[in-house]
Amino acid sequence: MRPLNTSTANQSRVGSHTDAVLGFLLTFPILVTMVSLVFYPLLVTMWDSLHRVKPTKPGTPFIGLENYAAIFNDGATLSAWTNTAIYVVIAVIAETSFGIVAALLLNKIKRGRRWLLAIVILPWALPGVVNSVMWLWIFNPAAGLLNGALTSFGFDFTNHLWFTGRVSSIAMVSVVHVWRMMPLTIVIILAALQSIPQELYDASRMDGARPVHSFFYVTLPLIRSAIAIAMTQSTVQAFNLFEEAWVLNGTSHDTRPILGQIYLETFQNLNFSYGMALSLMVTLLSLIVSLSFVMRVYRDTRLD
Amino acid sequence: MLRRFLPEIGIALGVAVLVLWSLGPIYWAIATSLTPLSEIGAKPFHFVPQHLTVNHYERLFGFGNDGAIWRQFSAALLNSVVTSVISTIVCVVLAALGGYAFARLNFPGRNTLFVCVVATLAIPGYAVLIPLYRLMIDLHLIDTYLGITLIYVSAYLPLALWMLRSVFQTLPISLEEAARLDGASRLGILFWIVLPIAAPGLTAVAILTFLGAWGQYIVPLIFSPTLKTKPMTVLIPEFATKNFTDYGMITASGTISILIPALIVVVLNRYLVSGLLAGSSK
Repeated sequence: MRPLNTSTANQSRVGSHTDAVLGFLLTFPILVTMVSLVFYPLLVTMWDSLHRVKPTKPGTPFIGLENYAAIFNDGATLSAWTNTAIYVVIAVIAETSFGIVAALLLNKIKRGRRWLLAIVILPWALPGVVNSVMWLWIFNPAAGLLNGALTSFGFDFTNHLWFTGRVSSIAMVSVVHVWRMMPLTIVIILAALQSIPQELYDASRMDGARPVHSFFYVTLPLIRSAIAIAMTQSTVQAFNLFEEAWVLNGTSHDTRPILGQIYLETFQNLNFSYGMALSLMVTLLSLIVSLSFVMRVYRDTRLD
Repeated sequence: MLRRFLPEIGIALGVAVLVLWSLGPIYWAIATSLTPLSEIGAKPFHFVPQHLTVNHYERLFGFGNDGAIWRQFSAALLNSVVTSVISTIVCVVLAALGGYAFARLNFPGRNTLFVCVVATLAIPGYAVLIPLYRLMIDLHLIDTYLGITLIYVSAYLPLALWMLRSVFQTLPISLEEAARLDGASRLGILFWIVLPIAAPGLTAVAILTFLGAWGQYIVPLIFSPTLKTKPMTVLIPEFATKNFTDYGMITASGTISILIPALIVVVLNRYLVSGLLAGSSK
Protein backbone atom coordinates (compact mmCIF):
# COMPACT_ATOMS: atom_id res chain seq x y z
CA MET A 1 0.00 0.00 0.00
CA ARG A 2 2.63 2.43 1.11
CA PRO A 3 5.07 2.25 -1.82
CA LEU A 4 2.23 2.59 -4.28
CA ASN A 5 1.11 5.84 -2.63
CA THR A 6 4.58 7.33 -2.78
CA SER A 7 4.94 6.43 -6.39
CA THR A 8 1.69 8.12 -7.41
CA ALA A 9 2.62 11.15 -5.32
CA ASN A 10 6.00 11.24 -7.01
CA GLN A 11 4.45 10.85 -10.39
CA SER A 12 2.04 13.72 -9.92
CA ARG A 13 4.85 15.92 -8.62
CA VAL A 14 6.93 15.03 -11.65
CA GLY A 15 3.85 15.74 -13.76
CA SER A 16 3.24 19.17 -12.25
CA HIS A 17 6.96 19.95 -12.54
CA THR A 18 6.94 19.23 -16.26
CA ASP A 19 3.68 21.16 -16.52
CA ALA A 20 5.37 24.18 -14.99
CA VAL A 21 8.37 23.90 -17.33
CA LEU A 22 6.08 23.50 -20.32
CA GLY A 23 3.98 26.45 -19.14
CA PHE A 24 7.10 28.64 -19.03
CA LEU A 25 8.20 27.44 -22.45
CA LEU A 26 4.82 28.05 -24.08
CA THR A 27 4.37 31.53 -22.64
CA PHE A 28 7.99 32.64 -22.91
CA PRO A 29 7.64 34.06 -26.47
CA ILE A 30 4.61 36.07 -25.32
CA LEU A 31 6.54 37.40 -22.33
CA VAL A 32 9.47 38.46 -24.53
CA THR A 33 7.21 40.09 -27.13
CA MET A 34 5.12 42.01 -24.64
CA VAL A 35 8.01 43.15 -22.44
CA SER A 36 10.16 44.38 -25.32
CA LEU A 37 7.42 45.84 -27.54
CA VAL A 38 4.79 47.08 -25.06
CA PHE A 39 5.88 47.29 -21.41
CA TYR A 40 9.36 48.65 -22.02
CA PRO A 41 8.19 51.27 -24.59
CA LEU A 42 5.35 52.27 -22.26
CA LEU A 43 7.81 52.90 -19.43
CA VAL A 44 10.01 54.86 -21.84
CA THR A 45 6.98 56.94 -22.83
CA MET A 46 6.26 57.78 -19.20
CA TRP A 47 9.91 58.49 -18.40
CA ASP A 48 10.66 60.52 -21.52
CA SER A 49 7.48 62.58 -21.16
CA LEU A 50 9.21 64.15 -18.13
CA HIS A 51 12.29 65.02 -20.17
CA ARG A 52 13.05 67.15 -23.20
CA VAL A 53 13.57 64.62 -25.95
CA LYS A 54 14.03 66.42 -29.25
CA PRO A 55 16.47 65.12 -31.88
CA THR A 56 17.18 68.68 -33.02
CA LYS A 57 18.42 69.69 -29.57
CA PRO A 58 21.35 68.07 -27.72
CA GLY A 59 20.82 66.25 -24.45
CA THR A 60 17.65 65.06 -22.74
CA PRO A 61 17.37 67.19 -19.58
CA PHE A 62 14.73 66.50 -16.94
CA ILE A 63 11.99 69.12 -17.22
CA GLY A 64 9.35 67.75 -14.87
CA LEU A 65 5.79 68.40 -15.99
CA GLU A 66 6.74 71.07 -18.55
CA ASN A 67 5.50 68.96 -21.48
CA TYR A 68 2.18 68.46 -19.73
CA ALA A 69 1.87 72.16 -18.93
CA ALA A 70 2.64 73.01 -22.56
CA ILE A 71 -0.43 71.02 -23.65
CA PHE A 72 -2.66 73.67 -22.09
CA ASN A 73 -0.79 76.60 -23.63
CA ASP A 74 -0.81 75.36 -27.20
CA GLY A 75 -3.67 76.59 -29.35
CA ALA A 76 -3.29 73.88 -31.99
CA THR A 77 -3.36 71.17 -29.35
CA LEU A 78 -6.35 72.66 -27.60
CA SER A 79 -8.33 72.85 -30.84
CA ALA A 80 -7.39 69.22 -31.55
CA TRP A 81 -8.68 68.28 -28.08
CA THR A 82 -11.94 70.08 -28.83
CA ASN A 83 -12.30 68.28 -32.15
CA THR A 84 -11.68 64.90 -30.54
CA ALA A 85 -14.20 65.68 -27.79
CA ILE A 86 -16.79 66.55 -30.46
CA TYR A 87 -16.02 63.34 -32.37
CA VAL A 88 -16.45 61.31 -29.18
CA VAL A 89 -19.79 62.90 -28.33
CA ILE A 90 -21.17 62.57 -31.88
CA ALA A 91 -19.87 59.03 -32.33
CA VAL A 92 -21.20 57.75 -29.01
CA ILE A 93 -24.64 59.34 -29.44
CA ALA A 94 -25.07 58.43 -33.13
CA GLU A 95 -23.63 54.93 -32.95
CA THR A 96 -25.59 54.04 -29.81
CA SER A 97 -28.98 55.40 -30.87
CA PHE A 98 -28.91 54.30 -34.53
CA GLY A 99 -27.14 51.09 -33.51
CA ILE A 100 -29.95 50.15 -31.12
CA VAL A 101 -32.57 50.86 -33.79
CA ALA A 102 -30.66 48.78 -36.36
CA ALA A 103 -30.18 45.93 -33.88
CA LEU A 104 -33.91 45.91 -33.00
CA LEU A 105 -34.67 45.79 -36.70
CA LEU A 106 -32.26 42.91 -37.36
CA ASN A 107 -33.71 41.06 -34.37
CA LYS A 108 -37.11 41.12 -36.09
CA ILE A 109 -35.74 39.54 -39.26
CA LYS A 110 -36.06 35.78 -39.24
CA ARG A 111 -34.98 34.77 -42.74
CA GLY A 112 -31.65 35.75 -44.24
CA ARG A 113 -30.44 37.51 -41.12
CA ARG A 114 -26.98 36.04 -41.57
CA TRP A 115 -26.60 37.74 -44.93
CA LEU A 116 -28.05 41.00 -43.75
CA LEU A 117 -25.63 40.93 -40.82
CA ALA A 118 -22.74 40.32 -43.23
CA ILE A 119 -23.79 43.40 -45.21
CA VAL A 120 -24.05 45.48 -42.05
CA ILE A 121 -20.61 44.38 -40.79
CA LEU A 122 -18.88 45.09 -44.11
CA PRO A 123 -17.99 48.78 -43.47
CA TRP A 124 -16.25 47.84 -40.22
CA ALA A 125 -14.17 45.12 -41.88
CA LEU A 126 -12.71 47.32 -44.62
CA PRO A 127 -9.53 49.34 -44.12
CA GLY A 128 -10.36 52.70 -42.55
CA VAL A 129 -8.28 54.66 -45.06
CA VAL A 130 -9.90 52.98 -48.04
CA ASN A 131 -13.32 53.82 -46.56
CA SER A 132 -12.19 57.40 -46.20
CA VAL A 133 -10.96 57.53 -49.81
CA MET A 134 -14.31 56.15 -50.99
CA TRP A 135 -16.13 58.86 -49.03
CA LEU A 136 -13.72 61.53 -50.28
CA TRP A 137 -14.96 60.63 -53.75
CA ILE A 138 -18.60 60.70 -52.58
CA PHE A 139 -18.06 64.22 -51.15
CA ASN A 140 -16.29 65.40 -54.34
CA PRO A 141 -17.84 68.81 -55.16
CA ALA A 142 -18.05 68.45 -58.94
CA ALA A 143 -18.65 64.76 -59.54
CA GLY A 144 -19.43 63.17 -56.17
CA LEU A 145 -22.41 61.01 -55.32
CA LEU A 146 -23.69 63.25 -52.55
CA ASN A 147 -24.04 66.46 -54.61
CA GLY A 148 -25.23 64.43 -57.58
CA ALA A 149 -27.94 62.71 -55.56
CA LEU A 150 -29.07 65.90 -53.80
CA THR A 151 -29.21 67.73 -57.12
CA SER A 152 -31.22 64.98 -58.82
CA PHE A 153 -33.70 65.08 -55.94
CA GLY A 154 -34.26 68.76 -56.67
CA PHE A 155 -31.89 70.44 -54.21
CA ASP A 156 -29.27 72.49 -55.99
CA PHE A 157 -26.02 71.29 -54.46
CA THR A 158 -24.00 71.55 -57.70
CA ASN A 159 -20.33 72.07 -56.78
CA HIS A 160 -21.20 72.43 -53.09
CA LEU A 161 -18.03 72.26 -50.94
CA TRP A 162 -18.49 70.08 -47.85
CA PHE A 163 -15.09 70.85 -46.36
CA THR A 164 -15.40 74.57 -45.86
CA GLY A 165 -16.23 75.72 -42.39
CA ARG A 166 -15.71 73.76 -39.24
CA VAL A 167 -19.26 72.56 -38.61
CA SER A 168 -19.70 71.00 -42.02
CA SER A 169 -16.19 69.51 -42.05
CA ILE A 170 -16.52 67.90 -38.63
CA ALA A 171 -19.98 66.59 -39.51
CA MET A 172 -18.66 64.92 -42.67
CA VAL A 173 -15.68 63.35 -40.89
CA SER A 174 -18.07 62.08 -38.20
CA VAL A 175 -20.41 60.53 -40.77
CA VAL A 176 -17.55 58.48 -42.20
CA HIS A 177 -16.39 57.43 -38.74
CA VAL A 178 -19.89 56.43 -37.64
CA TRP A 179 -20.37 54.52 -40.90
CA ARG A 180 -17.29 52.46 -40.09
CA MET A 181 -17.82 51.89 -36.37
CA MET A 182 -21.59 51.47 -35.98
CA PRO A 183 -21.48 47.77 -37.02
CA LEU A 184 -19.66 46.99 -33.78
CA THR A 185 -22.49 48.53 -31.73
CA ILE A 186 -25.11 46.69 -33.78
CA VAL A 187 -23.42 43.30 -33.31
CA ILE A 188 -22.99 43.77 -29.55
CA ILE A 189 -26.59 44.88 -28.97
CA LEU A 190 -28.07 42.29 -31.33
CA ALA A 191 -26.35 39.53 -29.35
CA ALA A 192 -27.84 40.88 -26.12
CA LEU A 193 -31.31 41.09 -27.73
CA GLN A 194 -31.11 37.48 -28.82
CA SER A 195 -30.33 36.32 -25.31
CA ILE A 196 -33.65 37.71 -24.00
CA PRO A 197 -36.10 34.83 -23.57
CA GLN A 198 -39.29 35.15 -25.66
CA GLU A 199 -41.41 34.26 -22.60
CA LEU A 200 -40.68 37.65 -21.08
CA TYR A 201 -42.29 39.37 -24.06
CA ASP A 202 -45.21 36.96 -24.04
CA ALA A 203 -45.75 37.62 -20.34
CA SER A 204 -45.65 41.39 -20.75
CA ARG A 205 -48.05 41.20 -23.69
CA MET A 206 -50.47 39.14 -21.60
CA ASP A 207 -50.24 41.81 -18.94
CA GLY A 208 -51.49 44.20 -21.59
CA ALA A 209 -48.20 46.01 -22.28
CA ARG A 210 -47.91 47.71 -25.65
CA PRO A 211 -44.73 47.17 -27.71
CA VAL A 212 -43.37 50.56 -26.60
CA HIS A 213 -43.82 49.58 -22.98
CA SER A 214 -42.22 46.20 -23.33
CA PHE A 215 -39.26 47.92 -24.99
CA PHE A 216 -38.74 50.25 -22.02
CA TYR A 217 -39.58 47.80 -19.25
CA VAL A 218 -38.34 44.48 -20.65
CA THR A 219 -35.79 45.05 -23.43
CA LEU A 220 -33.92 48.12 -22.29
CA PRO A 221 -33.05 46.96 -18.75
CA LEU A 222 -31.81 43.64 -20.11
CA ILE A 223 -29.52 45.12 -22.78
CA ARG A 224 -28.17 47.87 -20.58
CA SER A 225 -24.78 46.29 -19.95
CA ALA A 226 -24.43 45.55 -23.67
CA ILE A 227 -25.14 49.22 -24.37
CA ALA A 228 -22.44 50.21 -21.87
CA ILE A 229 -19.94 47.90 -23.60
CA ALA A 230 -20.92 49.31 -26.99
CA MET A 231 -20.54 52.87 -25.73
CA THR A 232 -17.10 52.02 -24.36
CA GLN A 233 -16.11 50.68 -27.77
CA SER A 234 -17.45 53.80 -29.50
CA THR A 235 -15.53 56.03 -27.11
CA VAL A 236 -12.22 54.25 -27.57
CA GLN A 237 -12.63 54.20 -31.35
CA ALA A 238 -13.54 57.90 -31.51
CA PHE A 239 -10.50 58.81 -29.42
CA ASN A 240 -8.50 56.82 -31.99
CA LEU A 241 -10.05 58.63 -34.96
CA PHE A 242 -7.28 59.48 -37.42
CA GLU A 243 -7.66 58.13 -40.95
CA GLU A 244 -11.00 59.79 -41.65
CA ALA A 245 -9.82 63.30 -40.75
CA TRP A 246 -6.46 62.78 -42.46
CA VAL A 247 -7.75 61.56 -45.80
CA LEU A 248 -10.83 63.79 -46.01
CA ASN A 249 -9.43 67.10 -44.83
CA GLY A 250 -5.66 66.74 -44.44
CA THR A 251 -4.00 68.52 -41.55
CA SER A 252 -6.63 71.28 -41.35
CA HIS A 253 -7.23 72.60 -37.82
CA ASP A 254 -10.97 72.38 -38.49
CA THR A 255 -10.94 68.61 -38.26
CA ARG A 256 -7.52 67.61 -36.92
CA PRO A 257 -8.05 65.10 -34.10
CA ILE A 258 -5.72 64.71 -31.14
CA LEU A 259 -4.06 61.72 -32.76
CA GLY A 260 -3.27 63.86 -35.80
CA GLN A 261 -1.75 66.44 -33.47
CA ILE A 262 0.42 63.77 -31.81
CA TYR A 263 1.54 62.54 -35.22
CA LEU A 264 2.48 66.02 -36.47
CA GLU A 265 4.21 67.09 -33.24
CA THR A 266 6.20 63.86 -33.13
CA PHE A 267 7.11 63.02 -36.69
CA GLN A 268 7.04 66.45 -38.30
CA ASN A 269 8.11 68.85 -35.54
CA LEU A 270 10.14 66.09 -33.85
CA ASN A 271 8.90 67.04 -30.38
CA PHE A 272 9.21 63.45 -29.21
CA SER A 273 8.62 63.97 -25.51
CA TYR A 274 5.74 66.40 -26.05
CA GLY A 275 4.07 63.81 -28.28
CA MET A 276 4.58 61.22 -25.55
CA ALA A 277 3.01 63.42 -22.88
CA LEU A 278 0.05 64.02 -25.21
CA SER A 279 -0.41 60.32 -25.99
CA LEU A 280 -0.39 59.44 -22.29
CA MET A 281 -3.04 62.10 -21.64
CA VAL A 282 -5.27 60.68 -24.40
CA THR A 283 -4.81 57.16 -23.07
CA LEU A 284 -5.79 58.27 -19.58
CA LEU A 285 -8.81 60.27 -20.75
CA SER A 286 -10.18 57.56 -23.02
CA LEU A 287 -9.82 55.05 -20.15
CA ILE A 288 -11.65 57.35 -17.73
CA VAL A 289 -14.54 58.07 -20.10
CA SER A 290 -14.89 54.40 -21.08
CA LEU A 291 -14.79 53.22 -17.47
CA SER A 292 -17.42 55.76 -16.47
CA PHE A 293 -20.00 54.04 -18.73
CA VAL A 294 -19.20 50.65 -17.28
CA MET A 295 -19.18 51.92 -13.69
CA ARG A 296 -22.57 53.58 -14.13
CA VAL A 297 -24.14 50.36 -15.25
CA TYR A 298 -22.56 48.45 -12.36
CA ARG A 299 -23.76 51.00 -9.83
CA ASP A 300 -27.29 51.09 -11.24
CA THR A 301 -27.46 47.32 -11.32
CA ARG A 302 -26.37 47.11 -7.71
CA LEU A 303 -29.00 49.64 -6.64
CA ASP A 304 -31.68 47.62 -8.41
CA MET B 1 -55.98 45.87 -43.98
CA LEU B 2 -53.28 48.52 -44.17
CA ARG B 3 -52.88 48.45 -40.38
CA ARG B 4 -52.03 44.78 -40.49
CA PHE B 5 -49.24 45.24 -42.96
CA LEU B 6 -47.91 48.47 -41.51
CA PRO B 7 -45.28 46.85 -39.26
CA GLU B 8 -43.99 44.71 -42.11
CA ILE B 9 -43.76 47.70 -44.43
CA GLY B 10 -41.85 49.51 -41.70
CA ILE B 11 -39.40 46.64 -41.32
CA ALA B 12 -38.89 46.39 -45.07
CA LEU B 13 -38.22 50.11 -45.28
CA GLY B 14 -35.80 49.92 -42.38
CA VAL B 15 -33.92 47.05 -43.98
CA ALA B 16 -33.74 48.98 -47.25
CA VAL B 17 -32.27 52.02 -45.49
CA LEU B 18 -29.76 49.86 -43.60
CA VAL B 19 -28.62 48.06 -46.75
CA LEU B 20 -28.39 51.30 -48.72
CA TRP B 21 -26.38 52.97 -45.94
CA SER B 22 -24.00 50.01 -45.60
CA LEU B 23 -23.48 49.18 -49.25
CA GLY B 24 -24.11 52.53 -50.98
CA PRO B 25 -20.58 53.93 -50.59
CA ILE B 26 -19.03 50.60 -51.59
CA TYR B 27 -21.34 50.32 -54.60
CA TRP B 28 -20.41 53.83 -55.69
CA ALA B 29 -16.67 53.05 -55.54
CA ILE B 30 -17.10 49.87 -57.57
CA ALA B 31 -19.43 51.59 -60.05
CA THR B 32 -16.93 54.41 -60.58
CA SER B 33 -14.11 51.93 -61.11
CA LEU B 34 -16.14 50.50 -64.03
CA THR B 35 -17.17 53.85 -65.56
CA PRO B 36 -15.27 55.19 -68.60
CA LEU B 37 -13.06 58.18 -67.75
CA SER B 38 -15.05 60.46 -70.07
CA GLU B 39 -18.28 59.72 -68.19
CA ILE B 40 -16.94 60.16 -64.63
CA GLY B 41 -18.45 63.38 -63.34
CA ALA B 42 -20.42 63.96 -66.55
CA LYS B 43 -23.70 65.88 -66.37
CA PRO B 44 -26.50 64.92 -66.01
CA PHE B 45 -25.74 62.78 -63.00
CA HIS B 46 -26.30 58.99 -63.21
CA PHE B 47 -26.52 56.54 -60.32
CA VAL B 48 -25.66 53.66 -62.64
CA PRO B 49 -22.75 53.72 -65.11
CA GLN B 50 -24.10 54.23 -68.63
CA HIS B 51 -21.25 52.21 -70.14
CA LEU B 52 -19.01 49.66 -68.45
CA THR B 53 -15.26 49.46 -68.89
CA VAL B 54 -12.32 47.61 -67.34
CA ASN B 55 -9.99 50.30 -68.63
CA HIS B 56 -9.06 51.56 -65.12
CA TYR B 57 -8.08 48.05 -64.05
CA GLU B 58 -6.06 47.60 -67.26
CA ARG B 59 -4.19 50.82 -66.61
CA LEU B 60 -3.64 49.77 -62.98
CA PHE B 61 -2.22 46.45 -64.18
CA GLY B 62 0.12 48.26 -66.57
CA PHE B 63 -1.55 47.65 -69.94
CA GLY B 64 -1.07 50.52 -72.34
CA ASN B 65 1.30 52.47 -70.09
CA ASP B 66 4.87 52.09 -68.82
CA GLY B 67 3.73 49.98 -65.88
CA ALA B 68 5.05 52.36 -63.22
CA ILE B 69 1.73 52.35 -61.40
CA TRP B 70 1.51 48.59 -61.50
CA ARG B 71 5.02 48.29 -60.05
CA GLN B 72 3.96 50.45 -57.11
CA PHE B 73 0.57 48.85 -56.70
CA SER B 74 1.73 45.24 -56.96
CA ALA B 75 4.55 45.89 -54.48
CA ALA B 76 2.06 47.41 -52.02
CA LEU B 77 -0.40 44.55 -52.55
CA LEU B 78 2.36 42.03 -51.89
CA ASN B 79 3.45 43.94 -48.78
CA SER B 80 -0.12 43.99 -47.44
CA VAL B 81 -0.49 40.25 -48.00
CA VAL B 82 2.91 39.34 -46.54
CA THR B 83 2.68 41.47 -43.39
CA SER B 84 -0.96 40.52 -42.65
CA VAL B 85 -0.51 36.80 -43.29
CA ILE B 86 2.73 36.46 -41.34
CA SER B 87 1.48 38.42 -38.34
CA THR B 88 -1.78 36.43 -38.36
CA ILE B 89 0.10 33.12 -38.36
CA VAL B 90 2.56 34.19 -35.66
CA CYS B 91 -0.20 35.68 -33.55
CA VAL B 92 -2.45 32.62 -33.74
CA VAL B 93 0.42 30.21 -33.02
CA LEU B 94 1.71 32.20 -30.04
CA ALA B 95 -1.79 32.74 -28.66
CA ALA B 96 -2.75 29.07 -29.11
CA LEU B 97 0.35 27.80 -27.28
CA GLY B 98 0.18 30.50 -24.62
CA GLY B 99 -3.59 30.35 -24.26
CA TYR B 100 -3.39 26.62 -23.58
CA ALA B 101 -0.67 27.14 -20.98
CA PHE B 102 -2.73 29.87 -19.29
CA ALA B 103 -5.87 27.71 -19.34
CA ARG B 104 -4.53 24.30 -18.35
CA LEU B 105 -0.95 24.34 -17.01
CA ASN B 106 -0.02 25.40 -13.50
CA PHE B 107 3.14 27.40 -13.34
CA PRO B 108 4.31 30.15 -10.99
CA GLY B 109 3.32 33.64 -12.06
CA ARG B 110 0.68 32.36 -14.46
CA ASN B 111 -2.13 34.67 -13.44
CA THR B 112 0.08 37.72 -12.99
CA LEU B 113 1.52 37.36 -16.46
CA PHE B 114 -1.91 36.80 -17.99
CA VAL B 115 -3.45 39.84 -16.33
CA CYS B 116 -0.46 42.00 -17.34
CA VAL B 117 -0.70 40.94 -20.98
CA VAL B 118 -4.48 41.36 -21.22
CA ALA B 119 -4.37 44.72 -19.40
CA THR B 120 -2.45 46.11 -22.39
CA LEU B 121 -5.73 45.89 -24.35
CA ALA B 122 -6.61 49.13 -22.59
CA ILE B 123 -3.47 50.86 -23.86
CA PRO B 124 -3.84 52.40 -27.32
CA GLY B 125 -1.03 51.79 -29.75
CA TYR B 126 0.12 55.40 -29.91
CA ALA B 127 1.17 55.35 -26.26
CA VAL B 128 4.09 53.11 -27.23
CA LEU B 129 4.61 54.16 -30.85
CA ILE B 130 7.28 56.80 -30.33
CA PRO B 131 9.68 54.67 -28.24
CA LEU B 132 9.02 51.81 -30.68
CA TYR B 133 10.05 54.08 -33.53
CA ARG B 134 13.39 54.83 -31.90
CA LEU B 135 13.83 51.16 -30.91
CA MET B 136 13.22 50.07 -34.51
CA ILE B 137 15.71 52.65 -35.78
CA ASP B 138 18.35 51.35 -33.34
CA LEU B 139 17.67 47.77 -34.41
CA HIS B 140 17.61 48.73 -38.14
CA LEU B 141 14.10 47.29 -38.41
CA ILE B 142 12.43 50.33 -40.01
CA ASP B 143 10.97 49.36 -43.39
CA THR B 144 11.46 45.61 -42.83
CA TYR B 145 8.85 42.85 -42.75
CA LEU B 146 10.28 41.71 -39.42
CA GLY B 147 9.79 45.11 -37.78
CA ILE B 148 6.22 45.58 -39.02
CA THR B 149 5.24 42.03 -38.16
CA LEU B 150 6.64 42.33 -34.64
CA ILE B 151 4.59 45.47 -34.00
CA TYR B 152 1.39 43.88 -35.34
CA VAL B 153 1.95 40.76 -33.26
CA SER B 154 2.48 42.78 -30.09
CA ALA B 155 -0.67 44.76 -30.88
CA TYR B 156 -3.01 41.85 -31.63
CA LEU B 157 -1.56 39.19 -29.32
CA PRO B 158 -3.38 40.26 -26.11
CA LEU B 159 -6.85 39.99 -27.66
CA ALA B 160 -5.95 36.69 -29.38
CA LEU B 161 -4.60 35.28 -26.13
CA TRP B 162 -7.62 36.39 -24.15
CA MET B 163 -10.04 34.89 -26.67
CA LEU B 164 -8.22 31.57 -27.02
CA ARG B 165 -7.79 31.10 -23.28
CA SER B 166 -11.55 31.43 -22.81
CA VAL B 167 -12.12 29.02 -25.71
CA PHE B 168 -9.81 26.44 -24.12
CA GLN B 169 -11.38 26.92 -20.70
CA THR B 170 -14.85 26.11 -22.02
CA LEU B 171 -13.71 22.82 -23.60
CA PRO B 172 -14.61 19.75 -21.50
CA ILE B 173 -11.56 18.73 -19.50
CA SER B 174 -12.67 15.08 -19.38
CA LEU B 175 -11.45 14.52 -22.95
CA GLU B 176 -7.97 15.68 -22.03
CA GLU B 177 -7.94 13.62 -18.83
CA ALA B 178 -8.93 10.51 -20.76
CA ALA B 179 -6.11 11.12 -23.23
CA ARG B 180 -3.65 11.60 -20.38
CA LEU B 181 -4.67 8.27 -18.85
CA ASP B 182 -3.91 6.73 -22.24
CA GLY B 183 -0.41 8.15 -21.91
CA ALA B 184 -0.67 11.15 -24.27
CA SER B 185 1.74 14.00 -23.58
CA ARG B 186 0.57 17.56 -22.93
CA LEU B 187 1.70 18.76 -26.34
CA GLY B 188 0.19 15.69 -27.99
CA ILE B 189 -3.13 16.52 -26.35
CA LEU B 190 -2.86 20.15 -27.42
CA PHE B 191 -2.14 19.35 -31.07
CA TRP B 192 -4.34 16.29 -31.59
CA ILE B 193 -7.31 16.96 -29.32
CA VAL B 194 -7.60 20.56 -28.15
CA LEU B 195 -6.67 22.52 -31.28
CA PRO B 196 -8.98 20.57 -33.64
CA ILE B 197 -11.97 21.16 -31.34
CA ALA B 198 -11.01 24.81 -30.92
CA ALA B 199 -10.88 25.38 -34.70
CA PRO B 200 -13.81 27.87 -34.76
CA GLY B 201 -12.12 29.95 -32.06
CA LEU B 202 -8.81 29.83 -33.90
CA THR B 203 -10.60 30.95 -37.07
CA ALA B 204 -12.23 33.88 -35.27
CA VAL B 205 -8.87 34.99 -33.85
CA ALA B 206 -7.20 34.65 -37.25
CA ILE B 207 -9.94 36.73 -38.93
CA LEU B 208 -9.76 39.53 -36.38
CA THR B 209 -5.96 39.66 -36.53
CA PHE B 210 -5.88 39.56 -40.31
CA LEU B 211 -8.50 42.28 -40.73
CA GLY B 212 -6.73 44.43 -38.16
CA ALA B 213 -3.35 44.08 -39.84
CA TRP B 214 -4.80 44.50 -43.35
CA GLY B 215 -6.47 47.78 -42.39
CA GLN B 216 -3.58 49.26 -40.41
CA TYR B 217 -2.62 52.76 -41.47
CA ILE B 218 -0.76 54.70 -38.79
CA VAL B 219 1.81 51.96 -38.07
CA PRO B 220 2.96 51.52 -41.69
CA LEU B 221 2.73 55.29 -42.20
CA ILE B 222 5.55 55.57 -39.66
CA PHE B 223 7.41 52.29 -40.05
CA SER B 224 7.11 51.67 -43.82
CA PRO B 225 8.47 54.76 -45.60
CA THR B 226 9.26 53.03 -48.93
CA LEU B 227 7.71 50.44 -51.20
CA LYS B 228 10.00 47.84 -49.63
CA THR B 229 7.25 47.26 -47.06
CA LYS B 230 4.62 49.97 -47.75
CA PRO B 231 1.13 48.40 -47.81
CA MET B 232 -1.90 49.37 -49.92
CA THR B 233 -3.47 51.32 -47.08
CA VAL B 234 -0.62 53.83 -47.29
CA LEU B 235 -0.29 53.80 -51.09
CA ILE B 236 -3.97 54.37 -51.98
CA PRO B 237 -4.37 57.71 -50.17
CA GLU B 238 -1.14 58.81 -51.87
CA PHE B 239 -2.83 58.05 -55.19
CA ALA B 240 -5.84 60.06 -54.08
CA THR B 241 -4.05 63.16 -52.90
CA LYS B 242 -0.68 63.43 -54.61
CA ASN B 243 -0.22 61.86 -58.02
CA PHE B 244 -3.45 62.58 -59.82
CA THR B 245 -7.14 62.98 -59.26
CA ASP B 246 -7.85 60.01 -61.49
CA TYR B 247 -10.82 58.62 -59.62
CA GLY B 248 -11.21 55.73 -62.04
CA MET B 249 -7.85 54.35 -61.00
CA ILE B 250 -8.28 55.31 -57.34
CA THR B 251 -11.57 53.47 -57.04
CA ALA B 252 -10.17 50.52 -59.00
CA SER B 253 -7.27 50.19 -56.55
CA GLY B 254 -9.66 50.68 -53.61
CA THR B 255 -11.94 47.95 -54.95
CA ILE B 256 -9.03 45.51 -55.12
CA SER B 257 -7.97 46.35 -51.58
CA ILE B 258 -11.44 45.68 -50.15
CA LEU B 259 -11.86 42.42 -52.05
CA ILE B 260 -10.16 40.20 -49.48
CA PRO B 261 -11.84 41.68 -46.35
CA ALA B 262 -15.21 41.59 -48.14
CA LEU B 263 -14.74 37.91 -49.04
CA ILE B 264 -13.84 37.14 -45.44
CA VAL B 265 -17.00 38.84 -44.17
CA VAL B 266 -19.22 37.07 -46.68
CA VAL B 267 -17.73 33.58 -46.30
CA LEU B 268 -16.72 33.55 -42.64
CA ASN B 269 -19.21 35.95 -41.06
CA ARG B 270 -20.35 33.40 -38.47
CA TYR B 271 -16.86 33.17 -36.96
CA LEU B 272 -16.37 36.89 -37.31
CA VAL B 273 -19.48 37.71 -35.26
CA SER B 274 -18.47 35.35 -32.46
CA GLY B 275 -15.00 36.87 -32.50
CA LEU B 276 -16.33 40.43 -32.42
CA LEU B 277 -18.50 39.61 -29.41
CA ALA B 278 -15.65 37.95 -27.54
CA GLY B 279 -13.38 40.85 -28.39
CA SER B 280 -15.81 43.54 -27.35
CA SER B 281 -16.73 42.19 -23.93
CA LYS B 282 -13.21 42.58 -22.69
